[in-house]
Amino acid sequence: MNDPTRPLLEACHVSKSVRGPEGRLEILSGVDLHIMAGESFAIVGASGSGKTTLLGLLAGLDTPDAGDITLDGHALHRLDEEARADLRRRLVGFVFQSFHLLPALTAEENVMLPLELEGSSDARSRAREALDAVGLSPRRRHYPAQLSGGEQQRVAIARAFVHGPCVLFADEPTGNLDQRTGHHVCDLLFALNRDHHTTLVLVTHDASLAARCQRGIELDEGRVVPGIHA
Amino acid sequence: MRMLRLALRNLRREWHLPELRTLAASLVLAVVALGVVATLATRIERGMLASAAELIGGDIGIGSPQALPDSFAVKARQDGLAITRTAGFPSVAFAHQQAQLLDVEATDAQYPLRGTLELADAAGRQRIGHGAPPGTVYLDHRALVALGLKVGDRLQLGGRELTIAAELMRQPDGGELLALAPRAMMSLVDAEAAGLLGVGSRARHRLLLAGSPADVQRWRDWARIATLPQGAQLITPEQTQERMRSAFDRAGAFLRLTALLSALLAGIAIALSAQRYARRKSTEVALLRALGTSRRRVLGLLLGTLGALAVPAAALGMLLALGLAQLAWLLASQLFGNVPTSLPLAPALAAAAMGLAVLVGFALPPLARLAEVSPVAVFRQSMTRRARRFDALYLIPLLVALLLIWSQSSSLKLAGILAASLIGVAAIAALLALLLLWLARRVAPGAHPALRLGLAALARRRMLSVIQATSLSLGLCALLLLAIVAPSLLQGWRQELPADTPNWFALNLQDDQRAGFAQALQRIGADQLNMAPLAVGKLTAINGQPIDRLHFDDARANDWADRQLRLSWAGQLPPANEVIAGRWAGPAPAHAEVSIDTMWRDMFALKLGDTLTFHVGERDIQATVGSVRKVDWSSFRVNFFLLLDPVHASELPHTWLASFHLSGGHAEALAQLSRDYGNLSLVDVDALLDRVREIVDRVGNAVRWILGFSLLAGALVLAASLAASAAERRHEAALLRTLGARRAQLRVAAACEFALLGLVAGLTAALGAAGAGLWLGHAVFHIEHFVPPLWPLLGGAVGAALVVMLLGLAGTRKVSRTPPMRLLREG
Repeated sequence: MNDPTRPLLEACHVSKSVRGPEGRLEILSGVDLHIMAGESFAIVGASGSGKTTLLGLLAGLDTPDAGDITLDGHALHRLDEEARADLRRRLVGFVFQSFHLLPALTAEENVMLPLELEGSSDARSRAREALDAVGLSPRRRHYPAQLSGGEQQRVAIARAFVHGPCVLFADEPTGNLDQRTGHHVCDLLFALNRDHHTTLVLVTHDASLAARCQRGIELDEGRVVPGIHA
Repeated sequence: MRMLRLALRNLRREWHLPELRTLAASLVLAVVALGVVATLATRIERGMLASAAELIGGDIGIGSPQALPDSFAVKARQDGLAITRTAGFPSVAFAHQQAQLLDVEATDAQYPLRGTLELADAAGRQRIGHGAPPGTVYLDHRALVALGLKVGDRLQLGGRELTIAAELMRQPDGGELLALAPRAMMSLVDAEAAGLLGVGSRARHRLLLAGSPADVQRWRDWARIATLPQGAQLITPEQTQERMRSAFDRAGAFLRLTALLSALLAGIAIALSAQRYARRKSTEVALLRALGTSRRRVLGLLLGTLGALAVPAAALGMLLALGLAQLAWLLASQLFGNVPTSLPLAPALAAAAMGLAVLVGFALPPLARLAEVSPVAVFRQSMTRRARRFDALYLIPLLVALLLIWSQSSSLKLAGILAASLIGVAAIAALLALLLLWLARRVAPGAHPALRLGLAALARRRMLSVIQATSLSLGLCALLLLAIVAPSLLQGWRQELPADTPNWFALNLQDDQRAGFAQALQRIGADQLNMAPLAVGKLTAINGQPIDRLHFDDARANDWADRQLRLSWAGQLPPANEVIAGRWAGPAPAHAEVSIDTMWRDMFALKLGDTLTFHVGERDIQATVGSVRKVDWSSFRVNFFLLLDPVHASELPHTWLASFHLSGGHAEALAQLSRDYGNLSLVDVDALLDRVREIVDRVGNAVRWILGFSLLAGALVLAASLAASAAERRHEAALLRTLGARRAQLRVAAACEFALLGLVAGLTAALGAAGAGLWLGHAVFHIEHFVPPLWPLLGGAVGAALVVMLLGLAGTRKVSRTPPMRLLREG
């Protein structure tokens, strides 16, 4: 699956617009990119430049109005929502800026969620291993509200890689954290990328974080700024 | 004023919020449900009273042993009331050398003002009529048979030759059971001319009045303080014969029960919506506080917004309630014939006030707690923890339900039983839900993935699941009580009046006639024969003190002290009697004992051990009060206020009172029986039985109408209950979809979740409705051997579980379509 000689993720001439109160608003226009398996890739840009929309399209959460996106050989634009959900469950992990942990579940139960969705019988033990990997074993029975922001994001990271995805999408993963905690969380993400060869696609407006990635693009008003590809 | 402007602006901005719209809809429907039920119930109660008025022939009246002064009629005319006069007396009629004692009612041409006088001509054609014109008389069937006459013949009554103008089929008669003789109706003009109403006559005069409720009430208030002639008393619909009163009491209890349950349903719906609104507002309050708004101002703004929403919603609900109640009344008016009742406004106004009170009651606690939200909450996502704590306030419906029950019910017993039953239902539902969650934790790991997700979803929303199960159980319990138990109670009531209930009474049967009479009855196909000894006497002393020297606080006592009393005796406690103090004397006590009814105990302030002396014929008997009985006067059995022991009473001069059942079409046989036993008085009570059956039917129809509105309120509870977790579900669905959950997976999980929730709620509700029904049947409606319909209840429970599941699924369809991108947009 993670063949480093071919792109894991490809986007060709991808465009996306939405209907607003003042007519159609173009969010992405003719975006091209490819991301190799196991590499770390940054998408940077100012607020409203279309970063999150692009991330959603690459992850199969939404479909482009025009253009093609291929994830691990699957043409996402040809799949319906159910098939894309199936693909996400098998191939994709997510880390969000606001963590999005379910408040009524303990840390361990949150991590178990993706495994429960695929019907795994050893969900609990695998979740414990994942929590152990992010250094949160002692906090596994805690609820999100009892955890600090950094700890919540580490739980979210454990949830993102517990089912062994080939690509991890992270949307401003340090946006809600202080610098030191943010660093720690980033270290974890890059360690996963390195140790498990998990492709890491990172949306950020933090230049120093983007610099830690092997490659990246910058978006400006929905278009790729030329010459930034690493 | 500034705050009101702010609140209105806030409401305009927030109107798009689903919570506010649901809240407004809940309030409108709550007021509509409460208002329609209360308006219909009031109208039906008025209709019932009007129906009772049909029994006495007017809305109100005065009965007097002597002619009434003109002042009562003059005042009535001034008040705009219609008037009729009657006089009842016994008189002997002669025809073909035969004489027959008749119970004569002399009336003017206006009689009756309420109800109908049913007459039949010589060919048997029936018509509605009024008082007999001068020179004519109406005779009932027994009188015609006894005198061997037919319509068109002539007879002599009070020394005047009168023509029989019609056969008297049915008349408003006050529901008096023991009319002793066959009946006749003549003109008041003829009776006066014949000198039948002069000094020394035994006539009982009645002045009957009818008009609008307000006019009647004005006259009634005046008459209450006016000096009535000696022995005179007001005749009111409420004081109709004891058996009828019991029927009206039960009817009232049924209507109150249905109104209460509807109010409860509406209350739950409001509670759930209000709580949801408060939950949503917590983040906003933290922000406002952080921006420097004072706690008081925040609370004022919230309350102002809620008020600006609630007042128009309540007003709209009130108008809709009045409109729907009017529509329902028009559609159902045939139930009450031509009973005139106006649309009452007060119940709808009260419903609007109650809806507002319930809203404040439910919304205030969480809103008040919102004021405690710290500004620092804007920095931390810890609000969810606090919101979970607010969830506990969902249990408040129970408290407000108690208040509602308290305020709506005029029967303490009914309120107590309902409250206790509903508390039981809530407790069992909460316990069962907790047990289910505990099981979910244990079963989930090994279960099918979809079921596991469903169980996990239930377990995830622990507190909300418990609250949903509890509120659904309460709502379903109320619906099952209305839809299944109430009709079953009505059926139980109806079955108390089986087709073979004794419908004839025979008075004045002598000892030596008993055997022959019984055989004669058997020959003509009568059954259910029961005979009781009957002695007629007077109460002469209490504890040795002559009765005419005693003073009683209860005005009824003086009347009874003057009256001829009917005494009987029995070795065994008769059916429909219950000893509530002392002990039943048994067949042979050492000293003479008397068992008294509770009314006698209260009237004469009697206690166990007191002695009563009766003068019967030429003999006196002194008996000690050995027991007090509670008599079910609605049972249509022969019952007595005073029961002596057989050993000491059997020597008293007495006759026998026989009761039996004889189906219709035996008029000839009965006429023969009447001729063979000339001393007997046969009394037909079928008309009275028909009246009670009619009331049961009317209540049954009214309950069905009310049920329709209650079902709407029930649906709203369900919708509000499901909506309570909708936002959480949407967020969760988006997350699960992002993590790769299939739509079908979400749907099956939701189906499992709601089916389990519905099952807990349905079973608890069925159990609660059965228990409450059993309790209500015995304690409030006094329906012996009432068994709640278990299978229909279980069917209802399973059906309810299915409906909850389907509605839950329908609600989840939208949730499962939540685009996963929404999560990224939320950050």
